[in-house]
Amino acid sequence: MAPRATAAPTLHKVIMVGSGGVGKSALTLQFMYDEFVEDYEPTKADSYRKKVVLDGEEVQIDILDTAGQEDYAAIRDNYFRSGEGFLCVFSITEPESFDATQEFREQILRVKNDENIPFLLVGNKSDLQEKRRVPLDACTERAAAWRVPYVETSAKTRDNVDKVFFDLMREIRSRKSDDSRASNGQVKKGKSKRFKCQIL
Amino acid sequence: MGPPPVVTGISPKEGPPGTRVTIRGEFLGTSATDLIGLKICGCDCLLSAEWKSKNKIIARSGPCKGRGDIIVTTRSGGEGTSTVQFRGYHESIGPVKESAVWVEESAPLSLPWGRRPMSPTTYTPPDPLGLSTEGDDCKFPEEELHELYPDGSGNLSDENFEPGWYLLEHHSNTSYEDLKAGMVFLQRKVEGQKEGQLHLLKANTGAVMEQLDRLVLLKNMFEEDERKAGREPLPSLQAAIEESITLADSLFSEILSRKDNADKTREALSLLTRHKFLFQLPANIDKNIKKKDYDLVVNDYARVKNLFGNTDVKLFQKILADIDRKIDDLKTKLREQIQTMPINIQDQRKYIRLLISLNWDGDAAWVAINSRKDYLMALLDKVKDHFKQKEEQEAADKGKRKSKPDSSGWSAAAGEWLAAACALLAEQLAALWTLAKWYFAGELAGSPTANNRQEQFKQMIIESVELFATHMRGCLLPAGGAGGAGGGGAGGGAGGAGAERVRARLVENLRALREMYEALIKLDLPSQPLSIVEGVIFEYRAHGMTAFLQRALRRVNSLAGQETWRIVEFTEYGAITNTPHELEAIVKDALTQIHECVFAPGRRERPLLEAGALQQHSRPLLLAAAPALDHPPPDQQEFNNSSLSVALDQPLDETLPHSAGQDRGPSWQQRLLIAACNAHYTRKVTLNNIAKAYEQYEFPVPTLAIQTTKEALSNLEATIAETYLEHKGDPLVGTIEPSMYMGRHKVDPDEVVEDARPYVYEIINNLIAVHAEVDSVCGSASTRYVRDICETVCEELARLAAAAPAGGSRAAAFRARLEYRLLHVACQSHLTRKAENYLMEALASVPPLEFDEDKKRMEVLVEDFKKRMELQLASLNSNMEIV
Repeated sequence: MAPRATAAPTLHKVIMVGSGGVGKSALTLQFMYDEFVEDYEPTKADSYRKKVVLDGEEVQIDILDTAGQEDYAAIRDNYFRSGEGFLCVFSITEPESFDATQEFREQILRVKNDENIPFLLVGNKSDLQEKRRVPLDACTERAAAWRVPYVETSAKTRDNVDKVFFDLMREIRSRKSDDSRASNGQVKKGKSKRFKCQIL
Repeated sequence: MGPPPVVTGISPKEGPPGTRVTIRGEFLGTSATDLIGLKICGCDCLLSAEWKSKNKIIARSGPCKGRGDIIVTTRSGGEGTSTVQFRGYHESIGPVKESAVWVEESAPLSLPWGRRPMSPTTYTPPDPLGLSTEGDDCKFPEEELHELYPDGSGNLSDENFEPGWYLLEHHSNTSYEDLKAGMVFLQRKVEGQKEGQLHLLKANTGAVMEQLDRLVLLKNMFEEDERKAGREPLPSLQAAIEESITLADSLFSEILSRKDNADKTREALSLLTRHKFLFQLPANIDKNIKKKDYDLVVNDYARVKNLFGNTDVKLFQKILADIDRKIDDLKTKLREQIQTMPINIQDQRKYIRLLISLNWDGDAAWVAINSRKDYLMALLDKVKDHFKQKEEQEAADKGKRKSKPDSSGWSAAAGEWLAAACALLAEQLAALWTLAKWYFAGELAGSPTANNRQEQFKQMIIESVELFATHMRGCLLPAGGAGGAGGGGAGGGAGGAGAERVRARLVENLRALREMYEALIKLDLPSQPLSIVEGVIFEYRAHGMTAFLQRALRRVNSLAGQETWRIVEFTEYGAITNTPHELEAIVKDALTQIHECVFAPGRRERPLLEAGALQQHSRPLLLAAAPALDHPPPDQQEFNNSSLSVALDQPLDETLPHSAGQDRGPSWQQRLLIAACNAHYTRKVTLNNIAKAYEQYEFPVPTLAIQTTKEALSNLEATIAETYLEHKGDPLVGTIEPSMYMGRHKVDPDEVVEDARPYVYEIINNLIAVHAEVDSVCGSASTRYVRDICETVCEELARLAAAAPAGGSRAAAFRARLEYRLLHVACQSHLTRKAENYLMEALASVPPLEFDEDKKRMEVLVEDFKKRMELQLASLNSNMEIV
């Protein structure tokens, strides 16, 4: 790893993706500041970073909260490239947002060019069970197809909020340790890029 | 000192200057005042910072460029740190970018904006290495490039192109592997270009061969055609084409024309729909006019004028003309309606408004006012004619039955007429006035200020009121004094019941007039027309008063004829009949009526007495009292038939049946006396009572009239006295001479005169008779008559004595003296100075007594006479004793 990074705690870059209004910012703010924001204001691109203790080790989590709206679809590529792990969020009350996860998944895989990128499928708004319109079966089925974990959260009740972030960080951490082990051998395209940057 | 602030979140993480940024973190200050510094990318943003909580601040980014920390400084925690960064950038504004600044689009921007080049001039060639330039924005600083390659350029098309520059600029982040792959790509491309035409042919052999085959085929086909159609195939082809064109045309012409028609129809339909309003307007106007929905018509008309007023379209103009015609008709109709009476004032106002809004060029309100006034006048005339006719008819009917002309002022028809006219005037004038008020207030447009309209209108009002006044005068007031007198006879004849009716009518009529007058006052009319009406009322009141007074006068006049000569009372002024009382009653009655009915003035009316009419009319009334109390003309028959003795006997026979066996009541002489008493009584008592009555009713006391009446009554008394004297005294005096000469006129000179001659006794008896008569009637006032008669008698004696002096014989002288002496004794109490003088005169012509024995005898004879005649003397002087 870069010599600069050794002084500072390890940084895990998490990117929130998903359709507009599914609760990406709500999850982020709940995780960061334990607050639930009721009023909806579309996000453009927000950045959060704080120190957390992950399994006894102090790490830094950097969360990039992206825009869900289609208007910003063009600039998503740029953001995705810097992400190490993705929380793909949809609302269990909104089938369209569930459908859109497919598209996000494809875009991420295209940009990252990595089938095993740390990725969690998150069904948000689990507190609104009575309004549920995306059956649990469909969610788990899709997660299984992608070979990713599926977690249902509620930004409102903070249910599973910490879990999704910490699970993702664990995934990222294990991927990084795998990478560093493999860095001496065959080198992945995405990783070599980073490596070159360091040199320049 | 608390913990320093830590910014852990930024939303959004990038943006142009002025972006609203939500900063989140920890220990961002305990309060708004605790926040003392905020820097975003080195720019101070404290001014725009809005402290929300210790975890949240909202601010606006400053004019920073590039990535930078967000540093929050608090009083409690000092300068803080940031784990996140904000990137400021300056937006280049393009044609499709929303901006508050106007972008000049006509001149193309020189610098390339956005990803894709928009014009060939700004075309950037694709990356020669075939690598995507997307991604890392991490730019190599331009200044360094310039330092490294002072003469170079990164542009591929430039002559001084420096590959190093280009690589640094575009691929500073590209990995070594990628660069190698790019190198391979570039090499292949260059090789491809080098291989050239041979390479092309090799690659496309099949296609080339195929093309050759096709060309040969074409050549063969062409040659065959030439053989078939000759060398010039074009003309026939052209002919065929032309033919087909014609055919096609003919085929389609019908369809096309049909389509044209359809288009036209559609167009016309759409036009109709679009201007439905206009096309349907004439019908609508008719309909609305029929429904009397004039407002709608006016609105529509205004709208159509607005919309199509200036149209050039012939059709529209035609329709407009049609509409105009209809509107003109409407105007005429409205105008007629304004002028058609009767009409509700509100309706009239509405119509006037409508006319105004239809731009009628006349002064609608003025026309309305005029027609209203004409209508009022006509109505008044009509009412007049109607009632005149009715009256005439009534009069004719009555004429058949009674042949008595009805008093013009009191008939029922007149009352009705008055009521009708009053109601009419009040109502119509109110309407007219209201209309005019609107008009002059400018509510009804027109030109109220023009041509002295105010003056004209005033004239109108006055005119109509005057007409009313004239009619009312004609209706209520008789044409002149003659009419009143004529009616008077009838009224008098009608008696008490008639009087009541008249009074009721008068009050009724007056009430109607006053009500009308009140109504006019309420209207706020100018004073001039009001005064005209008031004049009518006043005249009518005066007329009523006059009527009462005239009626009283007639009754007084008729009193004379009704005198019964029945004595009802003995007063200190003598015996009177009912007449003075009746006179008083009549006058009082009249005054009461006047007071009750007409005296009290209504609102804004003159007091009735101002004109002095009462005085004027009181005078004849009171003066009429004198003739009413006058003595009856002498009954010729009675006078002729009655001898003196009979006349003298009458008082004695008063209670007995008259010689003719008829109860004729008091004799003529008695009546004469009663009349005198009546006059006296009236003068002293009744007139005073009447004056008091005047005072009681607050009327001015007609002092002059009363004075005159008193004088007249005095004269009457004098006249009566004279007449009485004439009728009583003359025969009495006339008897003296014959009686004196009767028998022994020539006295024997030596004869001893023992007694007076019988004529003396006759005189005394006659005097007694007269005295008795007078006293029975006049009581204490009787002395005057007896005195006068005594005087006459004495005068006659003196005349006789002078004519035939008793000189000569002693006896004759003695007798004459004795006679005079006896008379003197008998009449002593009634003798005036003048009478005594007469007696003295008569005595003077008689020689005085020369002998004592004669004197003594005279005394004896006188005493004897007194004794003998004691009863007679007592009766002659009775009243003195009574008094």
